[in-house]
Amino acid sequence: MSDRKEEKRIGVILCHCGKNIAGGVDIESLHKAVEKMEGVVFIAENRFSCSEEGQATIQQLIKENKLNRFIVAACDPTLHLATFQRCGEKAGLNPAFMDLIDIRKWTMHGSPVKVDSKQALENSKELIKRAVKRIRLKRIIPKIAVKTEPSVLIIGGGIAGVEASLELADKGYKVFLVERLPTIGGKMALLYKIFPTNDCAPCILAPKTAYANAHANITPLTNSEVMEVQGYIGNFRVKILQKPRYIEEKKCTGCGICIEKCPSKAPNEYAAGMGERKAIYIPYPQAIPLKAIIDAEHCLYFQKNVCRICEKVCPTGAIDFEQKPKMIELKVGAIIVATGFEEYDPSEKTEYGYGRYGNVITQFQLARLLDIDGPTKGKLLRPTDGKEPKSIAMIQCVGSRDESTNPYCSGVCCMYALKHIQIIKEMVLPTAEIYFCHIDVRAVGKGYEEYYRRTRGLGVVFLHGRPSEIIENPETRNLILKVEDPDIGERTELEADLVVLSCAMVPPHGTKQLSELLHIELDENGFYKEVHPKLQPVETSARGIYICGCAQWPKDIPHAIVQAKAAASCVDSELRKGEIKLPEFIVKTGKNKLRG
Amino acid sequence: MSNKIIRTAELDPNFKFEVTAHESARDLNYCFACGSCSAGCPIHEVFPDYNPRKLAKMIKLGLRKEVLSSDYIWYCATCRTCEQRCPQKVSFFNVLNVLKNIAAKEGYAPTAWVEQTKQVMQTGIVFPIEETCVKKREQLSLPSLKGEGKKAKKLIETTGLDEIESRG
Ligand SMILES: Cc1cc2nc3c(=O)[nH]c(=O)nc-3n(C[C@H](O)[C@H](O)[C@H](O)COP(=O)(O)OP(=O)(O)OC[C@H]3O[C@@H](n4cnc5c(N)ncnc54)[C@H](O)[C@@H]3O)c2cc1C
Ligand code: SF4
Ligand code: SF4
Ligand code: SF4
Ligand code: SF4
Repeated sequence: MSDRKEEKRIGVILCHCGKNIAGGVDIESLHKAVEKMEGVVFIAENRFSCSEEGQATIQQLIKENKLNRFIVAACDPTLHLATFQRCGEKAGLNPAFMDLIDIRKWTMHGSPVKVDSKQALENSKELIKRAVKRIRLKRIIPKIAVKTEPSVLIIGGGIAGVEASLELADKGYKVFLVERLPTIGGKMALLYKIFPTNDCAPCILAPKTAYANAHANITPLTNSEVMEVQGYIGNFRVKILQKPRYIEEKKCTGCGICIEKCPSKAPNEYAAGMGERKAIYIPYPQAIPLKAIIDAEHCLYFQKNVCRICEKVCPTGAIDFEQKPKMIELKVGAIIVATGFEEYDPSEKTEYGYGRYGNVITQFQLARLLDIDGPTKGKLLRPTDGKEPKSIAMIQCVGSRDESTNPYCSGVCCMYALKHIQIIKEMVLPTAEIYFCHIDVRAVGKGYEEYYRRTRGLGVVFLHGRPSEIIENPETRNLILKVEDPDIGERTELEADLVVLSCAMVPPHGTKQLSELLHIELDENGFYKEVHPKLQPVETSARGIYICGCAQWPKDIPHAIVQAKAAASCVDSELRKGEIKLPEFIVKTGKNKLRG
Repeated sequence: MSNKIIRTAELDPNFKFEVTAHESARDLNYCFACGSCSAGCPIHEVFPDYNPRKLAKMIKLGLRKEVLSSDYIWYCATCRTCEQRCPQKVSFFNVLNVLKNIAAKEGYAPTAWVEQTKQVMQTGIVFPIEETCVKKREQLSLPSLKGEGKKAKKLIETTGLDEIESRG
């Protein structure tokens, strides 16, 4: 359509965006400056370019003035470039020759880069000048159609990753679900009960994980990590390293005889550091796949070349000490990152003595203690002496809403602390006195406020104050907390047998490396960054790569599921035709050619 | 109570359950300390130290003795504004009645209040009638105000009010 020989007729529209732009920059001066720019044959102003009327004006201008290149000086291209490209296309303009540049960021209230009107004028002139130059030098080559692989890589086998897998597998895509642990299910499998309905966590999780494991279109790759990612949407080439289990999965029936006989013990990561497991183990009874795994770091054969008892006792001959790491190469059309979160390590907040005081634990540890399948078989016993605590204090916002650690609210910890109170008061230890020390209680979600009210009804002391420090009584190992509640007015010294810290949710280790492999951005807190927090919450800066669940931001299970379905839907929209058109154009700047 | 440090180890964590065991005060546990009760209370307006929200929290913390021996629980004007305004349907008015009952049984009733009960038992009348008032009524041919002391006594005895002792 547009070619080298053709005369370049550039039109520019200065958008007022109501007062968002016009209120902060001298439009008249800007107008005059743009008129003088090389190649600009037409310039006009619009009050709201994105409105129907504004778009009609643009189309009319393109046609009347025979414009073949057009620049809208208005707002963020991630918001509206597509709008204006569609608008121009209707007037016969190639989308590659429609540009949107953001001059609003210099003038709009709330913009982090807002400047005074003089500076706004200079900045806007400069941006428009560059855009005009760019569009003058731009050449297009025809769009190319590329075939897309009908397969998807999902990284992280928590509830978000599993949900996205099922959505896509049911639509017919081949899904590779990569999980670095030996089981899929993520944190949810270890939470015992799930607010706001208090269903049993494994009971509502297992139908999903079991289905994912059995689904003809899903290949779960546990004990695996992504090592390399190449390519682009429709055609990613990835390498995945599957570490050895030292068990032949097909032969292992999960009978557990090997575990019983194994003489070597190791700390149990599935009991949040509060119990032991064997060197050969199955993470938990509902693990999927239900296969044993040998932890070489604690196995006597790998460490001292002795033992091999498991090999002798296994009735199916499943043990294979010779297994080697396997590099798996895949071609996939799209990628979903669902790597979840980790609990903040509160030992950094030395005033609370986590790690020093034996009876200060985290909420995740409490979840394991309350769990019937946990290290204490559901008995709430304090770590130092195995006695039932008479008084329990919970401290909210540990490592959250705190400028010295993480500024954000983790959003879920108020709710899971309330859940643990309900479990303790209604099931495990009704006589325990519970103190809930909070800055404020955040119970935002369907049924959540009602859940909070129900918890209050159990007779809990809600103290509106954040303890400044904890002191341990070295004899009783009890803990003294100093709290100030404005309703009481006096300083309160809380004495508790057990203190539970509601810790922030933070990005899991390895997030930075993975983001570099994928070439996608992280936000200021280290979570994966979405294209737009409101309008494109699961898209990333790389087309074909999506995020969901706590990998994007701390959230509860309902919201993780919503995002998983959203990410799956984005993948489907891109891949369903089996072919996509990639816009390609060249900008000639001197000797360099930029392809995009 | 300023400058005091409250030590939970010295408190009575069951106090809140003792209070909420009474049907009329059952909802107290739902209180989330919004302060509507205090903001609307006419007595709080006159005596800022009288503060329903604070009393609610003191009950929950288990400051049993402090609450029961406090003069404040007897200040209530029984207007029930607190109950009207509470978004959690707590009747603080009823909570106070429960507190007063417990306090009275344990000898925390204010002297004036016990003396008044005695007077009712004797005369059947809450406030003594002044001589001028009696004369005025006679002039106006109104019936004389004779208290029914005996009946009042019987009534009071059946409620056990007669056994209440003042804190002296
Ligand atoms: C104590 C506690 C109680 C909670 N209780 C509730 C509740 O009652 N109700 C509720 O709605 N929410 C609750 N939550 C929140 C809930 O845990 C999360 O919403 C949910 O787990 C998020 O799921 P996810 O899949 O995004 O992340 P995760 O569950 O963290 O799963 C992520 C998975 O990705 C894997 N992974 C990480 N990095 C990599 C990598 N590089 N390569 C491969 N795999 C990787 C991890 O091993 C993990 O299996 C609670 C949270 C806590 C801490
Ligand atoms: S490895 Fe053998 S003994 Fe161990 S769980 Fe599997 S089948 Fe049973
Ligand atoms: S959810 Fe509650 S405990 Fe967690 S950071 Fe937010 S306010 Fe604090
Ligand atoms: S109005 Fe109700 S909820 Fe609010 S502080 Fe008073 S008793 Fe509590
Ligand atoms: S009933 Fe008593 S406590 Fe309640 S508002 Fe009236 S005076 Fe105040």
